[in-house]
Amino acid sequence: MKKRMTTLILSGILSLAMLAGCGNAQDGGSTSGQGSAGSSPQEAAGSADSQETAGTGASEGSETLTVWCWDPAYNINALKIAESIYQKDHPDFRLEIIETNGEEINTKMATATTSGVFDVLPDILLFDDSGFQSSVTSYPEVFADLTDYGFNYEEFSPGKVGFSTVDGRHYGIPFDSGTAIACYRKDILEQAGYTIADFTDITWNEWMEKAKVVLEKTGCPLLNGLSSYNQMTIMMQSAGGSFFDKDGNPNLVDNEILREVVEVYTEMVKEGVYTEETGWDTYIGGMNTGRIAGAMNGCWIMASLQAAEEQSGLWEITNLPKLDGIASATNYASQGGSSWAVTSQCSNPQLAVDFFKATFGGSMELYEQILETGAISTWIPAADSPKYEEPVAFFNNQPVFSLITTYSASVPECYVGVYFRNARSDVANAITNIIYSGGDIDSELQAAQDTLIFEMENK
Amino acid sequence: MNKLSVKKRQSLIGWVFLAPAAFLLVVLKFVPLVQAFFMSLRTGRGSSMEWTGFSNYARMFRDPNFIQTIKTTLLYMVVTVPVMIILGIILAVLLNDSKLRLKGIYRTCIFLPAAVSLVASAVIFRSLFATDGFVNVVLLKLGILETGYNFLGHPGSARVILMVMRIWRWVGYQMIFFLAGLQNIDDSLYEAATIDGAGRLQSFWKITLPLLKPMILFTTIMCLNSALQVYDESVNLTGGGPGYSTMALAHYIYNTSFVNVPNFGYSCAMSMMILIFVAVMTFVQMKVGDRRE
Repeated sequence: MKKRMTTLILSGILSLAMLAGCGNAQDGGSTSGQGSAGSSPQEAAGSADSQETAGTGASEGSETLTVWCWDPAYNINALKIAESIYQKDHPDFRLEIIETNGEEINTKMATATTSGVFDVLPDILLFDDSGFQSSVTSYPEVFADLTDYGFNYEEFSPGKVGFSTVDGRHYGIPFDSGTAIACYRKDILEQAGYTIADFTDITWNEWMEKAKVVLEKTGCPLLNGLSSYNQMTIMMQSAGGSFFDKDGNPNLVDNEILREVVEVYTEMVKEGVYTEETGWDTYIGGMNTGRIAGAMNGCWIMASLQAAEEQSGLWEITNLPKLDGIASATNYASQGGSSWAVTSQCSNPQLAVDFFKATFGGSMELYEQILETGAISTWIPAADSPKYEEPVAFFNNQPVFSLITTYSASVPECYVGVYFRNARSDVANAITNIIYSGGDIDSELQAAQDTLIFEMENK
Repeated sequence: MNKLSVKKRQSLIGWVFLAPAAFLLVVLKFVPLVQAFFMSLRTGRGSSMEWTGFSNYARMFRDPNFIQTIKTTLLYMVVTVPVMIILGIILAVLLNDSKLRLKGIYRTCIFLPAAVSLVASAVIFRSLFATDGFVNVVLLKLGILETGYNFLGHPGSARVILMVMRIWRWVGYQMIFFLAGLQNIDDSLYEAATIDGAGRLQSFWKITLPLLKPMILFTTIMCLNSALQVYDESVNLTGGGPGYSTMALAHYIYNTSFVNVPNFGYSCAMSMMILIFVAVMTFVQMKVGDRRE
């Protein structure tokens, strides 16, 4: 009898729990549909917040904006500082920041658009520059057109603004700079008889010769990277190159810049002066443990370098090598900056733009405060701040910020293109075939171009 | 109150117990499946999709990346499934020995990888096979290599490591099924065989294998299904690279939705292809394996 009672009670509890579970799911379904039916706590919070902003109208809710972005040490930190700056004049203003990584933002955006339920989206999103145009063209319903809200785009470098511009309309607010830098370990270069000056204003051919010497004398490759992705993009961009022609058609075969990049890159890997990594952990680990003697990436890579505190004073930065035999080649490029987007869900886009205008588009104080995390401004006036001239101990007391700012002025403008990521994967695959399967450059690039054309026809 | 017959009553109770699971299965599995099928008949960029019938299915056969990734997936399947099954049986037979001591510990050790999250095991394997990882250090110390070999950076070795990781992770899982199967074989059969003069090998071929057959069939189907859906290893261990060389089909499907310019219709069509493969394979195996007259 006792046993039966226990069974009854237990199954009662179980069925109650199930009912409660179903009830919740249905609640989610009726208000925000499929988007939140399988939702994580974060997403549920996101939808609740945006409902609040959308629902409560002119009272206190209207001054709260929800934001999705990903790095607590970097962009979230910057937003929090921006919030407190804006709050000085707007005491009711509040940001609700939800940590969401870039991939997750893409997934959630896709779920929202395919299910047609947009209220799961926040008011503001952060996007990597290389995927910005692709997202705007793929999910036009998600993005608010910011062109007519009076943001001061002319105070930003045109190359940066270009990342978030589609058909002449602005969809983004520029955030951090992705100006590319080359960083080298001073002590390792010295062992091979070099200084940073030997790696400044050089060409890739000269770089290759010196890198071989460094490898021979110290056993350290000079660079590593996640497959060829970022390295190839940086090299392409340093000569203003693109995977596409002016009309947006794939241009991989008769592209002398790309050809040169592929040749240099395959040689780097074959000679062993560049190590292809498969994960971000081993990529960063390579430089932090001293296995790799250098790094070449957007200037945000400095934050990762500085994680190895015991290497303080051992690193120095300089500009990139430039491609040989290319008329438009320079020693400067950009990689992986990001920009803010305001979504169509935002009930008060004017408030969002005003907030950005007063902070990321006009606050010297903000840019000075976020400088130490390596977030370098794309807002041109910020570079006049005396803070930018200060030496940084980790980088052997070089004034790295003003160096980077001078580099960014020379970054050539280039066309990214909606299908940039497809193109990059296809070329990376071609490079793999050239290096490891002995494919020849002409036929592999032709194959990559055919694949890209196929992907773009989308039928 | 009209009385239900015992039989009806029992079957009603059965249905009541089945209902919650069946309901969840329908809502969480079958409904999205049907939705995915309808979505696979549409195509377009991101949210602007239009109905195009079966064009996505035709598209697949012209897609070099689809063909490459499906070849890679089939390679994983053809190599790993037999190895997993054979190793699983061998381990199960060895650990089923009644005279063996500390069996529990061995069994736990072999099963443990299956309980480790795939992301964690990918991280472990990546650090093991890194250029300055454990494996390279050992090989350098033994004088087999002169410089660290970038195992995951070369397509061939990266594929091998991915398969080794799959086998390492799943072999213990298969072993548990075979152990369960072995427990159901009556010891008297072996005793009788021994009396008749059969050796251990003979009784393995003549008794163990035939009686394990239903279990082998079941595990093979499970293995094949999971091999067709390899995703975590491809994403976390190698990122599909270098190039597309280690990318599994499921990883490519994910990329066409969430990494490259999204085409959800096409992704759904490719997912439907996996479904068809799995269904066909399961059907064939059921037919081949079913010897009931």
